[in-house]
Amino acid sequence: MKVKRIFTFSGLVFLVLAMCLMSFGPVAAADKKEIVIGTHLSLTGMLAMSGTEQKWSYEQAVADINKAGGILVKEYGRKLPVRLVVADDESDPGKAAAAVENLIKLQKVDLILSGHSTPLTIPSMVTSEKYKKYYHGTTCLIPVWAEQQFKWSTMFFIDMPSFPDAAYNVINSLPEKVERPALLMEDTLDGRGLGGVLRGGAEKFGYKLAVDEPWAVGSKDYSSQILKLKAKRVDAVLIFGSAADTVTFLRQMKESNANVKYFHGYKGTWTAEFIDATGKDGQYVMCDGFWSETYPYPGAKELGARFTKDYNKQSVSVGLFYATAQILFEAIERAGSLDSAKVRDAVVNNEFKATVMGDVKYGPDGSAGFQIGTFQWWDGRQKLAYPFLEGAWKTKIMPPWDKR
Amino acid sequence: MKNKRNIGLFILFVALFACVPLIFDPETNYLVYFLFMVFSYLALAQSWNLVAGYTGQISLGIHAFFGFGAYIIAIGWREGLIGYLDPIGMFLSGLGPAVLAIAIGIPLLSKLRGDYFALGTLGLGEILRTIFIQGGAFTGGSAGLMMPSSAYISMAPYYYIALLLAVFATAVTYLMVHSTVGWALIAVRDDETAAAANGINVLMYKVLAFAVGAFMAGLCGSLQAYYLFHIHPQNFFGLNWTLYPILMCIMGGSGTLMGPVIGVLFLTAVFELAKIWLPEIHPIISGALIIAAILFLPEGFTRIKLFGSFRRKRA
Repeated sequence: MKVKRIFTFSGLVFLVLAMCLMSFGPVAAADKKEIVIGTHLSLTGMLAMSGTEQKWSYEQAVADINKAGGILVKEYGRKLPVRLVVADDESDPGKAAAAVENLIKLQKVDLILSGHSTPLTIPSMVTSEKYKKYYHGTTCLIPVWAEQQFKWSTMFFIDMPSFPDAAYNVINSLPEKVERPALLMEDTLDGRGLGGVLRGGAEKFGYKLAVDEPWAVGSKDYSSQILKLKAKRVDAVLIFGSAADTVTFLRQMKESNANVKYFHGYKGTWTAEFIDATGKDGQYVMCDGFWSETYPYPGAKELGARFTKDYNKQSVSVGLFYATAQILFEAIERAGSLDSAKVRDAVVNNEFKATVMGDVKYGPDGSAGFQIGTFQWWDGRQKLAYPFLEGAWKTKIMPPWDKR
Repeated sequence: MKNKRNIGLFILFVALFACVPLIFDPETNYLVYFLFMVFSYLALAQSWNLVAGYTGQISLGIHAFFGFGAYIIAIGWREGLIGYLDPIGMFLSGLGPAVLAIAIGIPLLSKLRGDYFALGTLGLGEILRTIFIQGGAFTGGSAGLMMPSSAYISMAPYYYIALLLAVFATAVTYLMVHSTVGWALIAVRDDETAAAANGINVLMYKVLAFAVGAFMAGLCGSLQAYYLFHIHPQNFFGLNWTLYPILMCIMGGSGTLMGPVIGVLFLTAVFELAKIWLPEIHPIISGALIIAAILFLPEGFTRIKLFGSFRRKRA
């Protein structure tokens, strides 16, 4: 009977507490003491690693703006500090939408900062559209976002027309000529979108793809693809997949002694998880990156150093998320208001100077693009190979497995 | 008398819940969304309860019917056959999975029992997920299908439809259990051979419960599709849509009418509170609570009294 009492009591407490919490009303404008920015991040689930870097970046941006006294909001006639509220989207599209519901209705956030990846940001933006809450977006493919004709979000992500340049310009710069590249793209929304662009890029740069096929997420056996690479004498691989899948693929390539001069991985190869799992086999592998601390932009070097101090590793993503927050803060100040429509108007068709991603110019449709970077893993660090900045890393040819 | 009192209480609670959007603004208040999710999970939990709790067939395929129902809406809408929150469309989204359940249920239920049947239904979810991922432009492939979110007007209709689904699922379960069908289902669960010896068409009753459960799961999938406007195969055919309702049912007490209601309310509240207070470690908290509840209440909340008397008898 004691157990019964405990459970009945705790059950009731949970329920009443949840219902009380959920019935809170909005804070009156006159009481406004802070700006509440909400974000849904993948704190758990498959994308938890990206979520950690994203959370760190947003927290740094908030700490920095608060150190400067907050954001001047004309409507309130004073500077207001920023408070970041994080909801876990569990790396699940349905949960991402629920997290945004929570942020808007329960946490009463003023504005929303982006989550990560196209499948998670799309349902979140749909939810923010429903409640007319501004969603300051990133990491969603711009064509997919544009197709939806959202009215309450903007998008800052990879410039699609220049996306293939980051791979093919590096291939062209290699000391040995590549003749038979292969394209293996994960069969997902992002994989399909980027696959189309890389295919077009191959044509533009005069390459004929020797192998071009999608691959299933989470496969354990890639021998059929690897046999094709060998049969077609492929000498460069462009591959889009998760860290786990790409690690498996690379290991199976080594076991089959499948050699290529150039191995460029997207999505999975930039993570520390990849290099930890592959060790020396990961050497020479190319990866994509949104940002580099070696970029000649204000605050980039310091941000990179701060991240390395906290995590004892490099990051090729934190700059993008930090800059996204920087842009939102400046837009609030320019709008002089926390009104979603006004803040969005302050972003659309406007330019934001001197962010850690450089100058960012949004078009009339609300999108802004940046050139993706290419890096090469070398002694456990990512060396910036593209854009070809002064003193940039010279990409090395991948030697055969038996000559390492 | 007791039945009349219970029905009266049930109607009173439904009426009270129906007033919630009139008291709290559905567009700004989280309580409305919270209850929307509670009702959706309740309908799903009752659909599983009917199959597993009353018939004894452990199905791990709720997500297959849930996802199938959602895709019927998305494809129908794209083709111009189904509109926004269309009642006929929703009916079809239940009917499709029910027909599938009959087609799959006859071979599965005639040959498999217990763990083997559970694995068979789990396989069904995986098969459907792969079919929809490989379905090309027709199913939207791995990217899924988008529906125009501009159609959204208010949260209130979603709330009322979810409430209606929960009431419908509970009422169907009640009516089935309190009819000769229900007695047959319980007889099949308790002793299949004895039931067959007494003239009960075992396969027919099993398939019937399986199909009714699939119908309800399909309806829930369609509502979720209308709510999210983005039907993604990994999400809609995700195992969570099966595991959560099962967990809720077991915690509340499967094979009882009130068990899923209590389980859904308790677990949804726990999940929400854990997410609010401990966003980074909420799965640990929720998991620990579930383990504790299962350890101390293996028969579910609704059978606490029975469990207590059982312990006393053993002592």
